[in-house]
Amino acid sequence: MQQIIKSAHVHPVVIIGSGASGGMAAWNLTKKGIKVLMLDAGERFDRMTFWTHVQPWEARERAARGEHPPRFFLDVKEQPYLTPDDRPFELTRVWGHGGKTNVWGRVSLRYSALDFKGADRDGWEIPWPITYSDVAPYYDRVEQLIGVCGGTDDSDALPGSRFLQPPPPPRCGERLLQKAAAGLGIPVVAGRRANMTRPTGGFPACHYCGACGSGCDTGSFFNSADHLLPIALRSGRLEIRSNAVAARILVDDKGLAKGVQYFDRKTGAEQQVLAKVVVVGASCVDSTRILLNSTSPRHPNGIGNGSDVIGRYLSEQIRLHARGYLPALAGTSTLNDRGIGGEHIYMPRFNHRPGQGRDYLRGFGAQFWNTGASAGGAHEGSDLIPGFGASLKSEIKRRHPAWFEIHPYGEVLPYAHNRITVDQDRRDRYGVPLLKIDYSIGENERKMSDHMADTMEEIVHTAGGVLVGYTRGDLDKNGSAIHEHGTCRMGADPKRSALNAFNQMHEVKNLFVVDGSAFTTATEKNPTLTILALSWRATDYLAGEIGRGNL
Amino acid sequence: MEQRTVNRRDALRRIAVAGAGVVSAPLWVEALGALARAQAPHVHASTGPSAAAGPWSPKVLTAHQDETVTALCELIIPQTDTPGARGALVNRFVDGVLQEATTADRDAFLKGLAWIDARSTALFGKDVRSATPEQQTDLLTRVSSAGSRGADDAAGADFFRALKSMTITGYYTTQIGLQQELGDDGRLVLAEFKGCTHREHQL
Repeated sequence: MQQIIKSAHVHPVVIIGSGASGGMAAWNLTKKGIKVLMLDAGERFDRMTFWTHVQPWEARERAARGEHPPRFFLDVKEQPYLTPDDRPFELTRVWGHGGKTNVWGRVSLRYSALDFKGADRDGWEIPWPITYSDVAPYYDRVEQLIGVCGGTDDSDALPGSRFLQPPPPPRCGERLLQKAAAGLGIPVVAGRRANMTRPTGGFPACHYCGACGSGCDTGSFFNSADHLLPIALRSGRLEIRSNAVAARILVDDKGLAKGVQYFDRKTGAEQQVLAKVVVVGASCVDSTRILLNSTSPRHPNGIGNGSDVIGRYLSEQIRLHARGYLPALAGTSTLNDRGIGGEHIYMPRFNHRPGQGRDYLRGFGAQFWNTGASAGGAHEGSDLIPGFGASLKSEIKRRHPAWFEIHPYGEVLPYAHNRITVDQDRRDRYGVPLLKIDYSIGENERKMSDHMADTMEEIVHTAGGVLVGYTRGDLDKNGSAIHEHGTCRMGADPKRSALNAFNQMHEVKNLFVVDGSAFTTATEKNPTLTILALSWRATDYLAGEIGRGNL
Repeated sequence: MEQRTVNRRDALRRIAVAGAGVVSAPLWVEALGALARAQAPHVHASTGPSAAAGPWSPKVLTAHQDETVTALCELIIPQTDTPGARGALVNRFVDGVLQEATTADRDAFLKGLAWIDARSTALFGKDVRSATPEQQTDLLTRVSSAGSRGADDAAGADFFRALKSMTITGYYTTQIGLQQELGDDGRLVLAEFKGCTHREHQL
């Protein structure tokens, strides 16, 4: 048994996690004069060490010298998770300051009234306790704070472009897909991305190197570690404790949160910190693990889980991929298509429009990353070109500027059986029960994926494209969208939800959960912008409650 | 604007699909191809412009195997108006990928390499390295997807696919492949992104 080092100091607020949700919570609370202790499971990734501007052959030279880029992604061997043998789930985690915002996809789409009212309309599971107009003022502020670029092409599916910075124009292939979709009555609009196209917050504008996935060494896209944590630290009111792997929320005899138990990732030592308020933002799956492991006589089922909803309703998104080339562009000269890493266009949901619907609930949108000339080598599928020799070489070159990809993302309905649990018999290196993910999709998703495939194929057909290595209906692995939601959902009814409309636990008023687990539905959109808006909103309320003496 | 519903299940039948009907490859072939793609920036193999001058010796391949791989890679991506795989040192990349591969995948590859030498000897009385360019081309045609393949050559098809995949990944991630051959300008800092300026592509 290791010695438990317990500090008697009671922190006003302890935040678990430093990504979009935790970073925003710390930024907002410290701005309001509240002292915060932040626990993060990793360390700071040094922007100066990112391999942002390293060509592939230079990377090999460096690797040969024994160098490596920052290791952003948590090794599953260090922190395993369990899945049923026949239902794998791809879980991607970044433990370290800023979390996944170091390397995220930066697609920043406001949820619309259509998204927030999904369950009101179709009756599937509980509705969100908030509306678009509750969140819109926070979207306004987030977009101005972090710098989001995009078009002025608002619609009922994608509202609110007022504060966006100018978007980069589309690449040739993106233009042709946009044109083809328009011919089908499907608007494809300017992408909305958290890449700054104007200097913002002391950081230079994006310089279009396209290597965002390696992390940005100029801080030109939103990363909590660059854009939120340093400001909070400068206030003098934030302390970040690194390598602190949170295990459980501690409770007092009234059942309220009184602190956090964590383990030092370097030494394995158990530690406890005390707090008046605990804010959980460890990312959906890890937050859920912490909550479910926080059992006590008052909370035998995990803290705040009298309703048995925590861990249930895990909602990810389904994805399909179509790849190929556009003969109209084949053989044209190669342009520098790096731009913003990923696409400059977006296909918002359209199936709610007259004549465009089908017999399934909710909807899908699409991204188009990798469209254009690649800066990282030959395009995938080049090895499917028959033969070898000069003809192969010439055909690879001909297709190079003509490459396109379409990647629709569809909402997965919340199902009670899609569930995260903890396994008392399987423990991690700290002796804490491992998380287990049991996730599958249903009939609604299969019908939707049919519509997704038809849509991709229609766009490709209209654009005159040739698909390469395409298998219809070949869904990506569950979890691969890295958009987990719903396992600690907000709602008006405490019997069917864990959090109220301000991310505050119904059963534990001094515990707030501010990441994607709080989302009532997944929607078809990327969640980070909404996580930032809701964390800001929740911590405005939290600070108000402290001021009113309620916490 | 014309409104059409996107609900025609037969859409796919009207689209060209390249690479359809390709017989799925054994796991080791897929594994080596995927490893090469995933590890292209990380394998321990210098293929940069400065590497050509310095001494190098393979870590996995023997000198004979390395010469065979070099010859085969050059057949797959030959010198044209730009250097081919030999000039781009793709053999070093292949050796680097094999270093990272599992023992089973590496052994399967080396077995394929031995097979193709044996096949060359059976057909021409010379191993791959010593065969004439015409003989080498004949040999690869037999195992490539473009060739009509007899039972004798089926065993070499998997090896060819693995090597072809690694060669393509390796070649086009060199400066020669990406910049000289594909025409990438290599610029990593742009003040402005101009995007598509072709009048005929605009909406």
